[in-house]
Amino acid sequence: MRLIETIGKWLDARLQIGETIRETAEHSVPRDTASWFYVFGSAALVVFMLQIATGIMLALIYVPSAGQAWNSLQILNHSITLGWFIRGLHGWGSDFMVAIVLIHMVQVFLFGAYKYPRELTWMVGVLLLLVTLGMAFTGQVLRFDQDAYWGLGIGVSIASHVPLMGSWIVSLMLGGPIIAGATLTRFFALHVFVIPGLLIGFVAVHLLMVIKLGINEWPMPGRIVRKATYVKEYHELTKKDGIPFVPAAVWKDMFFSGAILLAVAACAIYFGPFGPSGQPDPTIIQTAPRPDFFFLWLYAVLSFLPPSMETPAMLIGPVVVIGGLLLLPFIFGEGEKSWKRRPIAVLTILLVAVALGTLTHLATYTPWSPVMDAWSSLPIPAEYLHNRSALERQGALVFQVKQCHNCHSLDHEGGKRGPALDAVALQLTDDQLIRQVIQGGGNMPAYGKNLSPAETTALVSFLKTLHPEGRPPARDAALAHAAGSVAPATHP
Amino acid sequence: MSLLRQVALGVAGLVVLGLSGCANPPGKPGPGPEVVNPDSIADFAVLYKANCAGCHGFDGKGGAAIALGDPVYLAVADDAVLRRVATEGVPGTSMPAFAKSKGGMLTEKQVEIIAHGIREKWAKPDVLRGADPPPYAATTAGNSSRGADVYTIFCASCHGIAGKGGKASSIVNGSFLALMSDQELRTIVIVGRPELGAPDWRGNVPGKSMSAQDVSDVVAWLASQRAQFPGEPYPQTDKSTGGTR
Repeated sequence: MRLIETIGKWLDARLQIGETIRETAEHSVPRDTASWFYVFGSAALVVFMLQIATGIMLALIYVPSAGQAWNSLQILNHSITLGWFIRGLHGWGSDFMVAIVLIHMVQVFLFGAYKYPRELTWMVGVLLLLVTLGMAFTGQVLRFDQDAYWGLGIGVSIASHVPLMGSWIVSLMLGGPIIAGATLTRFFALHVFVIPGLLIGFVAVHLLMVIKLGINEWPMPGRIVRKATYVKEYHELTKKDGIPFVPAAVWKDMFFSGAILLAVAACAIYFGPFGPSGQPDPTIIQTAPRPDFFFLWLYAVLSFLPPSMETPAMLIGPVVVIGGLLLLPFIFGEGEKSWKRRPIAVLTILLVAVALGTLTHLATYTPWSPVMDAWSSLPIPAEYLHNRSALERQGALVFQVKQCHNCHSLDHEGGKRGPALDAVALQLTDDQLIRQVIQGGGNMPAYGKNLSPAETTALVSFLKTLHPEGRPPARDAALAHAAGSVAPATHP
Repeated sequence: MSLLRQVALGVAGLVVLGLSGCANPPGKPGPGPEVVNPDSIADFAVLYKANCAGCHGFDGKGGAAIALGDPVYLAVADDAVLRRVATEGVPGTSMPAFAKSKGGMLTEKQVEIIAHGIREKWAKPDVLRGADPPPYAATTAGNSSRGADVYTIFCASCHGIAGKGGKASSIVNGSFLALMSDQELRTIVIVGRPELGAPDWRGNVPGKSMSAQDVSDVVAWLASQRAQFPGEPYPQTDKSTGGTR
């Protein structure tokens, strides 16, 4: 102990920072802020440190070359002791970091912490969110598997929509017109040097302001923020009812950060590292790439956008969202901080959460995408083939081999792109079925050129059997009347 | 319980949970890559499920197409047939070509694995018990007018007079015949569709098997029923009452 003390004193005599550290650690914070709601910022910082540590370990093995990146991840997964675990920590750490940053942001928003005088703290926080997402995206690219390859393809396509500069941005990102060796080197440099550098810089500024301006006090309904009086009121509050940050408030931060680290480790152990999925080979088309969790919502948005909306939405959307976030403290810099008096703020969060949650959920099963192997891997349910004629069974085969099943489900199995066909015969008559099959329409391609008349007839005869038992299929009343099977409708 | 005690219990629980994963961590990647290159898949079950089950059923039966798991079929069709049909498909019918050389997605080796696997999994060497089935491919030309008589003897009890349907459905529908090759008709006449109740060449009339010539003739008769322009959607509509269509 004495040795440590001696070394400490020797160092401090030269560095002269011991006093500053002590003052910073023991600075007075409002008593109410020693709360479990105030632990997310520090947890994000701790997870970031975990990312740096695991990232350095991974960088020792990882080869940032298009030809070898995928193989070097296989080596990490299978040949290096606990390599898979470090990959798991880094991957899960990434998800946890984005999640905690988002939660931190929601808490800051709902507690009105972005208001005067903490406008710049919030703005740097917004930049921190962006660089964190940048880390997540570039990290996904470094995995260089099928998901990464196609994810990057989509990312670059978005960038290419920028007017005038589009193709320049693409070649800047990819190191050429296509995804190739130079691409991965660039993303490695971004992920390992550029973005972490920005992140560290922003974190430093963010933390400095948190310390200098003080932690946001617990918002009380009715306690109004006014530029003229706020700083004085805050100092009075910390003087009257303040506690030293260390140790009175910090133990909750430490405890929560520790729990988060344990949770990251548990996820790494139980769920393992992410991928790498298939080799990044554009000639392999049997793949359904999807982005990592925190970009799934974007994937869903892009899938649902009508083509005419793509460019405006992709170019204007981010500007509006990021601009709005950056301008928020200037528009609502004063007034109530408490969420109890800010119903629109609460509703905004709920709306955004529900929207992002719904889009993310949709992206996990991509109902807009055909299931490309449904035709050859999902048999038609047995009850739909029971007691069918030879022609209807041939129709069932046409249904499979012409890949109707890829977009249309039967008994909940198959594609969700088009409507389920379990009861299609109740909705469409023979003629309507034939017309729909041949001409398509309502988002369905026309199959007229791909089906012989015999195939169409067989297919429609099968479709006509798709109705619940006891409920007769739809029929053309005029045709039935002409055939004399129904009495004409009587008009008064 | 005090808060401290609850926290201590929670931490202990987490540690136990963490340690329980250490001996055999479930997240540790298994051997080999997570996603195998599609060309390298060499497991029959995976290949069959992805490529064949859609029409031929998960277990070689129950699909809309012929049951590949029917041992009688496998006794009649040899490996060369299975391989050829999987490779090239059957033009004009719903059987597509699966080999890359013919526009499909499977390598030659994968087609071989499927053909071999089907036989290994479902063939039963003694299923015919010495019976001598008509050959898979026709060796003699069929005579359609004799085939009409053969039909009446062996098939009409279920498929009705002139094949227009009875207990079983019509087999002379123009669209149906247009989607069936002669060989497919022949194969079904020989091996039946056991899962649909259609007997093989031995079981149509008790104690009386069809000869190879019977089979050729009845297929010739069926082929003669093919329509010139199959797929007319209103075959039965009376034009005088149905308006101009």
